[in-house]
Amino acid sequence: MDRQLARPGDADRRNYRTLAIVAAFILILPAWAKFIPGDVLHIDIVNIMVLAGIYACVVVGLNLLVGYAGQISLGHAAFFGIGAYTTAILCTRLHWFPTWLGVIAGAALAGAIGWLVGKPVLRLKGHYLAMATLGLGEIAFILFQQLKGLTGGTVGIMDIPPLSILGLKFDSDLKFYFLVWVIVIALMLLTINLIRSRVGRGLRALHSSEVAADAMGVNTSRYKVQVFVLSAAFAGLGGALFAHFQKYINPESFVIAVSIMFITMVVVGGMGNIWGALIGVLLLTFLPSVIQALPQWIPGLPSALQNFSNYELILYGLLLILFMMFLPKGVADGLGRAADYSEVRARHLRDRRRAKKLEGH
Amino acid sequence: MNTGDRAQIRLLWGAAAVVVVVVVFTLSFKQSTGLQWILSGLTVGSIYALVAMGFSVIYSSTRVINFAQGEFTMLGGMLMFTLCTRGGLPLWLGFLLTVAIVTVLGAGFERLAIHPLKDQSVITIIIVTIGLAIFIRATAKWIWGTDPVKVASFTGDKPLRFFGASIVPQSLWVFGLTLVAVVMVFLFFNRTLLGKGMRAAADNPDAASLVGISASTSSLVAWSLAAALGAAAGAVIAPINFAAYDAGAMLGLKGFSAAVLGGLGSAPGAVVGGLMLGVLEMITAGFAPSGYKDAVAFLILILVLLVRPQGLLGRPEEVKV
Repeated sequence: MDRQLARPGDADRRNYRTLAIVAAFILILPAWAKFIPGDVLHIDIVNIMVLAGIYACVVVGLNLLVGYAGQISLGHAAFFGIGAYTTAILCTRLHWFPTWLGVIAGAALAGAIGWLVGKPVLRLKGHYLAMATLGLGEIAFILFQQLKGLTGGTVGIMDIPPLSILGLKFDSDLKFYFLVWVIVIALMLLTINLIRSRVGRGLRALHSSEVAADAMGVNTSRYKVQVFVLSAAFAGLGGALFAHFQKYINPESFVIAVSIMFITMVVVGGMGNIWGALIGVLLLTFLPSVIQALPQWIPGLPSALQNFSNYELILYGLLLILFMMFLPKGVADGLGRAADYSEVRARHLRDRRRAKKLEGH
Repeated sequence: MNTGDRAQIRLLWGAAAVVVVVVVFTLSFKQSTGLQWILSGLTVGSIYALVAMGFSVIYSSTRVINFAQGEFTMLGGMLMFTLCTRGGLPLWLGFLLTVAIVTVLGAGFERLAIHPLKDQSVITIIIVTIGLAIFIRATAKWIWGTDPVKVASFTGDKPLRFFGASIVPQSLWVFGLTLVAVVMVFLFFNRTLLGKGMRAAADNPDAASLVGISASTSSLVAWSLAAALGAAAGAVIAPINFAAYDAGAMLGLKGFSAAVLGGLGSAPGAVVGGLMLGVLEMITAGFAPSGYKDAVAFLILILVLLVRPQGLLGRPEEVKV
């Protein structure tokens, strides 16, 4: 974090300010979406925002693990799936089971399994850790498919009841939207506070040099496992919300490609930057829908181009490459540098004004 | 010979002993069925080994994991279909053209997208290769459609009998290519100046450039070589597997697993890892419900890594303080 000319405390103040702006934006977005209805843009903004919020739960945690602790995971779709299946099985088998407790159980079980596998696996480093987590993701996917008695096999689980908390039923997109984003903002607040605490400093030390951190008395192996468990629980929480939102789950939602999508969101947004996770999620969740809707925005397009959805993935892959080529440290880093630049520039202009005033006297 | 090499050779013998025990056990238990599993396992394993070598080549010269490696293999199969089965070109010409086209694609991509990122972190480049994989797969779907295509075998489809088990002649082509490829890659990285220089460039780019080794050339050669290997593998295995636009993801995953199992960056390791993975998969598919065969293979892989974090034939990465 070498922000030039930033003063101590600046970063924290800016983080809280940004969080407040994000919260305000979330609050007014649905009203704004009313003015531009989905059938004009051909994008259901609220629906996609719910999905983005669900993914954000996972990616905020994963960003802590990858960006701050420097440990890679290519298997977080497994924890996402464990959360989803836990609440789905509990709430469809036991009809009296409160759905909010199912969500908590999903997050808790994902965290517990994260602890069980994290303890041995996190001794591995770099690409070997990537491989081991990839393998765990694949094993989880196979279990979701094969444990037919529990998970319903490839068909999955249907008729998952909507989430209700204290008698409040979250059965529409809009209600779910507010619920999910309140949770995301709470997780963000938790993350901001975590990284400026002793634990956060330890994690950053761990990222820059594990040996040095060890030597300075940071219990690196314990920190690694703790962050892994936290990110697994966040992913489980996201998965449980996903199950109640979709009302239907099957193993296809938890394949390796989903794990890779999560890691891609972290890197495109900007590793080790709390806003990076949010930006990456929004960008990559909206991108496919925008690409799909793109031809319908231009009236009178020849029908060959109207059928643009066929080329959706070609464009998606291309954009991913271009993003990394032009913003290799992530979008958030680019925005942060722009903000720094404007702040420094404002300070510079103010100083010059003052100097002029002094000259005038 | 230094101690690292000696330890490697000891491990190689150890791995061989384990494989022999498993093989003898399977053979005495199931006889010709068991032999069939092992032969199928070796065929599948050779395919994994060929893909794994592509991963190893790029890793040992740039430390990047190329997620598009499986897509190069997929392209090899699809181009063989277009050139030979559809286009009617003779086999050898189709094969050479396929390898040439994919090599040019690999080299071109390196210059366009990887080279400009040479000062960025490895994970950034890995995400770029993920983007490339998505791009190639979608383009292939657009060109060739979603139906799998059948490529004719090189030398007929009449199975050869072998102690009560049977094997298709195409498997022998796969074995042959694997053998040629591993010897060539090993000699290239250990006996030629360019190959040794490329390893040096990966170890320490600054020091290597001081003695006149260009990291830029090294990366270009590695990508071309990996693309060529991938295409050759795809061309040879297409008659066994059906070739399809989405075959690359699965091949990439298994190839990466084999490369890590054997030790990233080691060509003999890639072969050992690939063959072990293939045989293990086929044997577990024989004993356990077939749905679980991949799960068992990955479980064994993780256990091996926990015992030996740098893979079977890999060297532990030195930690710089």
